[in-house]
Amino acid sequence: MRTNHWIGMGMSLLLLSLAACAALDSGLQLPLRHESAADLGQSTEQCTDCHDARGEKLAFGSFNHNEVWGTAHRQPAYQQERVCAMCHQTSFCSDCHATRVELKPSLKNQGETYRQMPHRGDYLSRHRIDGRVDPTSCFRCHGNPKAARTCVPCHG
Amino acid sequence: MTMTKRFGLLFCLGLFVVVGLPWPVSAVELTVHSDTLLRFFERDTATEKDATVLPVYEYLQLDVENPGEPGLAFHLSGWGRGDLADNDYYTDSTAGELLYAYLEYSGKLARFNARAGRQYVFEGVANESVDGLRLSSDLGRYFSGSLYLGQPVALDSEQGRSGDSIYGGRLANHLAGKYELGLSYKKINNDSDDAEEMAGVDISAYLPYNINLYGFSAYNIESEAFGEHSYELSFSVGSLSLRPYFQKFQYEDYFGTGANSANPFRFLADTGEELTVVGTDLTLPVGEAWTLVGKAKHYDYQVLDDSSQYYSAQAIWSGEGNSQFGGEFGYMNGDAAQNDYYLVRLDSYWDQLPDACPIAFVSGDIVYVGYDKAIYGEDRSLFVSLSVGKKFMEDALTLKLSGDYGSDPYFDDDLRGMLTASYRFAQAL
Repeated sequence: MRTNHWIGMGMSLLLLSLAACAALDSGLQLPLRHESAADLGQSTEQCTDCHDARGEKLAFGSFNHNEVWGTAHRQPAYQQERVCAMCHQTSFCSDCHATRVELKPSLKNQGETYRQMPHRGDYLSRHRIDGRVDPTSCFRCHGNPKAARTCVPCHG
Repeated sequence: MTMTKRFGLLFCLGLFVVVGLPWPVSAVELTVHSDTLLRFFERDTATEKDATVLPVYEYLQLDVENPGEPGLAFHLSGWGRGDLADNDYYTDSTAGELLYAYLEYSGKLARFNARAGRQYVFEGVANESVDGLRLSSDLGRYFSGSLYLGQPVALDSEQGRSGDSIYGGRLANHLAGKYELGLSYKKINNDSDDAEEMAGVDISAYLPYNINLYGFSAYNIESEAFGEHSYELSFSVGSLSLRPYFQKFQYEDYFGTGANSANPFRFLADTGEELTVVGTDLTLPVGEAWTLVGKAKHYDYQVLDDSSQYYSAQAIWSGEGNSQFGGEFGYMNGDAAQNDYYLVRLDSYWDQLPDACPIAFVSGDIVYVGYDKAIYGEDRSLFVSLSVGKKFMEDALTLKLSGDYGSDPYFDDDLRGMLTASYRFAQAL
């Protein structure tokens, strides 16, 4: 109860600060949308093709979409969701990170093999093993009651 | 509320937002993106063997915004499924979900952002879909913060929504291009009872020699112990990029998220297992077009007193557009023979076809997996997929046809097909 009291006070203080300090600019404002490849006249494959890896407003090098980005973007995305939003609508994320979808991402986007989506092929069989070896990675997307409806028919 | 009523309400809300709100006249754009998928395959049902299953899915996305400009915006996305064959394969003949529908305001200063409605919150310890309000803003030069509160969407099937609530936030201290340190908190109530309470700390630091550090720890306040520690570095040695990482999970505190958990994870929370994962990714560009990727991962189980390892090697050739050819070999050396498998994958995507060609792109995928211990009498699985597509109406409409074949422990010879129509519509309001 005492902990909740302090948490409530802390959050109220943060809320008041948000309201009061919203005009205190940090100087870190990035554009809401990145220019498209068509506007730039070139493809935008890697951030560091145009930006410094350690830019004044952002460490752009951390956002290079290299071949392991699909499995490595969790922490940069959790800290800098706004950077993702410059190029991606929320629907791009919810292809994989939705509370409840029926089609697995690699099936919904069957032909887009270049996106290296997880659960390709016969994952029904392989998930038995991957789930035993490291169930923590399953939990992030299938852990809550709604998302776990995919699991319920077999796992109860 | 039934699915029909829910989507009806959603449609009305979207219509109100588009025509009812005082949008500034300049350059506001309505974008609609529709994906209609018709799948066909055969399955045994309670009443029929090899019954044809014909689900049709609609994924709809609607955005109203002045692209790139601060101000009001509205975003909506959802999916629905109907079963054309209606042969008892699906428990419910219709299904669907409103993934998000929120009104957003972005300020000109201080990165102020406010969202109201159904939305995803990914930050700190939050990985939640919330019906509610989220505010975020800079708090001066060195701090930023966010707050959210509302009802958790994931718990709407757990004893109704009465008494359900979620609130939390994140406070970050940062020095642009140097580091960011975040403290986050989340509390979920289900039916007025505590369901989950977590606190977390996340860090990114941009160290000398272009070494980047990312880290995250989550503390389960209910069980009074850390559930997760995940830390990783990324750096380059010449053209070789490395991403070594360390993770530690205590199952009781990681999976023990009260009513916000589900089986089989609730069961795992009781095992008391402690998993430590160390590994690295390596990426090496070779010439203009080739990239070699290596992955190594070691899993150590404290209670089981055993370990597993996973290794993979990948070679990828990338061309113009999204054209790509790739090959991958992976090997799982599990703690027991039943957890051993090897994987071979070949994939391709080619969108640089001559104009005279009747299709715009073609892609293929072959995945072969061999299991050390047979699963339901089968010690291998084979998956072959082929897709073609063509664009129409100045690329506004894309039609895709996919077919795949699978032979694995669950299905002997499984043929499936899918026809996809993707339509994008944009209109200045």
